[in-house]
Amino acid sequence: MSSGDSLDRRSFLTAAGSAAAAATLAGCSGDGGGGTEGGDGSDGTAGDGGDGGSDQTLVYARGDHPENYDPQQTTSGEVAKVTNQVFDTLIQFAAGSGGQLEEGLATDYSLDGTTASLTLREDVTFHNGEEFTASDFKATWQRFTQSGYQYYLGDETRSGYGPFTLGNWIESVDASQDYELTIELTQRYAPFLRNLAMFAAAVLSEAQIEAMGDNQADLGSEPAGTGPFQFDTLDNPNERIRLTANGDYWGDGPNVGTVIFKTITENSTRVQDVINGASHITDNLDSSGFQRAEESETATLLRKNGINHGYMAMNMARFEPFRDRQVRQAIAHAINTEAIVNQIYQGFATQASQPLPPDVLGHNDDLDPYPTDKDQARSMLEDAGYGDGFEFELATFSNPRGYNPSPVQTANQVKSDLEDIGLTVNINQFSNFGPYLDYTSAGRHDACFLGWYTDNADPDNFMYVLLDPKVEMDAVPDGQDWVSFDTEGYSTLNVSGWANTDYMELVREAQRTYAEGDRETMYEEAAQIAYDESPWVFIDYAETLRAVNEAVVADSYTVSSVGGPYLNTVELQ
Amino acid sequence: MNWTQSIFKLIEPVVPPRFVIKRLLLLVPVLFGVASVVFAILHLAPGDPAIVIAGQRASAEQLEQIRQELGLRRPLWEQYLGFLWDAARFDFGQSYSISRGNSVRSVIADRLPITLELAIYGQAAGILLGLPLGIISAVKQDSLTDHVTRIGALTGISIPIFWSGPLLILLFSTYLDVFPTSGRIESTLFLPDTWTLFGRELPLTGMITVDTILLGNAEAFLSAAHHLFLPAVVIGVYSTALISRMMRSSMLEVIRQDYIRTARAKGQGAKITLMKHGFRNALIPVVTVIGIQFGTLLGGAVLTETVFGINGMGLTIVTAIGVSDYPVVQGTVLTFALLFTLVNLFVDVTYSYLDPRIQQ
Repeated sequence: MSSGDSLDRRSFLTAAGSAAAAATLAGCSGDGGGGTEGGDGSDGTAGDGGDGGSDQTLVYARGDHPENYDPQQTTSGEVAKVTNQVFDTLIQFAAGSGGQLEEGLATDYSLDGTTASLTLREDVTFHNGEEFTASDFKATWQRFTQSGYQYYLGDETRSGYGPFTLGNWIESVDASQDYELTIELTQRYAPFLRNLAMFAAAVLSEAQIEAMGDNQADLGSEPAGTGPFQFDTLDNPNERIRLTANGDYWGDGPNVGTVIFKTITENSTRVQDVINGASHITDNLDSSGFQRAEESETATLLRKNGINHGYMAMNMARFEPFRDRQVRQAIAHAINTEAIVNQIYQGFATQASQPLPPDVLGHNDDLDPYPTDKDQARSMLEDAGYGDGFEFELATFSNPRGYNPSPVQTANQVKSDLEDIGLTVNINQFSNFGPYLDYTSAGRHDACFLGWYTDNADPDNFMYVLLDPKVEMDAVPDGQDWVSFDTEGYSTLNVSGWANTDYMELVREAQRTYAEGDRETMYEEAAQIAYDESPWVFIDYAETLRAVNEAVVADSYTVSSVGGPYLNTVELQ
Repeated sequence: MNWTQSIFKLIEPVVPPRFVIKRLLLLVPVLFGVASVVFAILHLAPGDPAIVIAGQRASAEQLEQIRQELGLRRPLWEQYLGFLWDAARFDFGQSYSISRGNSVRSVIADRLPITLELAIYGQAAGILLGLPLGIISAVKQDSLTDHVTRIGALTGISIPIFWSGPLLILLFSTYLDVFPTSGRIESTLFLPDTWTLFGRELPLTGMITVDTILLGNAEAFLSAAHHLFLPAVVIGVYSTALISRMMRSSMLEVIRQDYIRTARAKGQGAKITLMKHGFRNALIPVVTVIGIQFGTLLGGAVLTETVFGINGMGLTIVTAIGVSDYPVVQGTVLTFALLFTLVNLFVDVTYSYLDPRIQQ
């Protein structure tokens, strides 16, 4: 080996040592910065503010950061939190309410037969400067649901809300006048006006849709609506979004100049961030976060009845013993749902008695949760011919969801309760929710945990969507109250296979009935049938919880069980 | 071919081009194997991409339409060949969920600098602490210092990141409130997309401490350094432990060599002998460990990023698996594999340069 080579190697080692020293120094400078940063996000050093708000910055902490903010490309509530600030809907849910409707971009609205007529608000402009007119809604509808439209979003891009919210119900839209909108429906459909208030029905700008051309999927990185805040910066690497106040907003507020959505995945860390004052509001609290916020001196816990339902469905299409009503009732009597909501869910949920939560039209006040009575449960099993018990699978997801914050613990409670009446439960635990839905919607479970957050606070959104199989009436054999999952038209949202024709007639009639009193009666009757037949074990209605820092002026932020968050009204000290 | 010839000419005095070519060719079967395994696992795993895209509310017809559009109804071999062809061009299509509508390439371009930055700082911390600790431990063999260092190193290797991370957050963030709990920069500080050099606008690197320096934003730099300190320490602890153990054993071996004794016999001072003859020679195997360790640090980033909520490649993989965003999983796993193999190639080449016997 030449001496030159040898020298090269020495130089390399020297260089390696120097590089190590340089890297070390860089590490040291990181340390140096540590002591000087206060970490108080409420100062609002960024965000020059819009014309309509002050120069204050509101920080909203959440658990996830999706990267596409097109309301037509998502089913995610995390996306809706942001798009609800940027976009408006024709009709909206009143802030702090349990789903009451109020004027949005439409100042007057009515539904008569199969025609919805709306008068639109004038002098509203989109953030891109375009004036809002009826044709914007027409373009919005076409982009979402009409495959013949030049700017149709595409089957593989649009979310399932396309047909679910608008597509299945709208026959045509007349936007020939700028501020009058006439929508023809395919059938009488009572929840329609509520569908117009859903986040997925947010009104997009026709000019923006046309400007996006063939790149419609890109709208999610630069959404421009008419809402109280404009989309300013999407910072994906740091999982943040910055919105600035819309000075021309037609409604209340905004009262702050900038809103920042930051992401902290860990629940307890997120709550701590609010307690420390680095964030002002956060959501999706688990039991420890709930307690910490409640005990904190710098944060308050806001709670409101949620419009949701966590349940255990018994699949009659697959598991024969569940076809016997007595067996289902016996199981409902054996599972101690009171212990589940009070001990496992730590009291931030209430015991469920029927498919509809209390704040929804048609909730039957005469129904109480099934009392836990294991003796009665055993005797009912005996009467049904299952005195020796049986064994079945209970599928469950693993990660907490709002309506079931501790799925595995809940499954263990169910297993233990049913063991007491001689039933053997094999828990089939799924680590990911996607494959879990895949499994349950294929009807491969004996029993499963699921739940539902309302889209529009309409009873139809629970009663028809989740418990009507949506097959033709004559597809249900006489004397049978279930159908198989491969029946033509079957909706896999009904994971129990339940097909009770009395119930189906009622909820289908209620869907077409506009008189509120009549609808209420029909749903109360349907709720009674569901209670008696017990296709599900009704477990809980979870509360909607928010931790709010003291810097937020009291009552300027209200928790809503559907829609929102309503950040336009928020004021900071 | 001119540019490749130039490169080979450049490296020829250091390491033979044939050796590099041989090592590069060996990467192909490795990456092919990884790609095949990733494809197989994701296609065997339960979960329907159509449900991921359209959500729970979608009808059966809509789901079927999406499956057709995505080519999921094509024969598996056809899908596999298509995947390999796309993977060879580093094209994994569009994200289903976490960055819906955006290409996986852009997701990786956003996330990779974040992970690299974290790994570099972790490595820096490891080198800074590991080398001196290893040397001291070797020189003062069997002393109290040596025992403390060794026990410390053993502890550092044994403590998993998913335990040490939350513990440090609890101590320094929750109780002492000295460091932020998560993120890479103060939530109210936003950086522009570009920086200017001699009037020309250039893109930023994605490494936040570097970018804040390029932008000349001292407040943002301090904030970024403040945020990265704890995660870098967590990664660095493991690295420190490994490097110090390696340095110690290598140093112990070297200082017993004849040439060290000769140098001392010729009257050279102990410190000079140690640093000039001992340290340099003992560093050779340590450099290898540092190189390999860098690849491991990238893997460690999966845990660190998850614990500290840093949106790099690691957290992206975890999130993408959680929501069945298969194109992102495929892209990120293959990028990790590519990086790992490239780092190992670099280590091999470096080592062969330091010890030419290895080329044989």
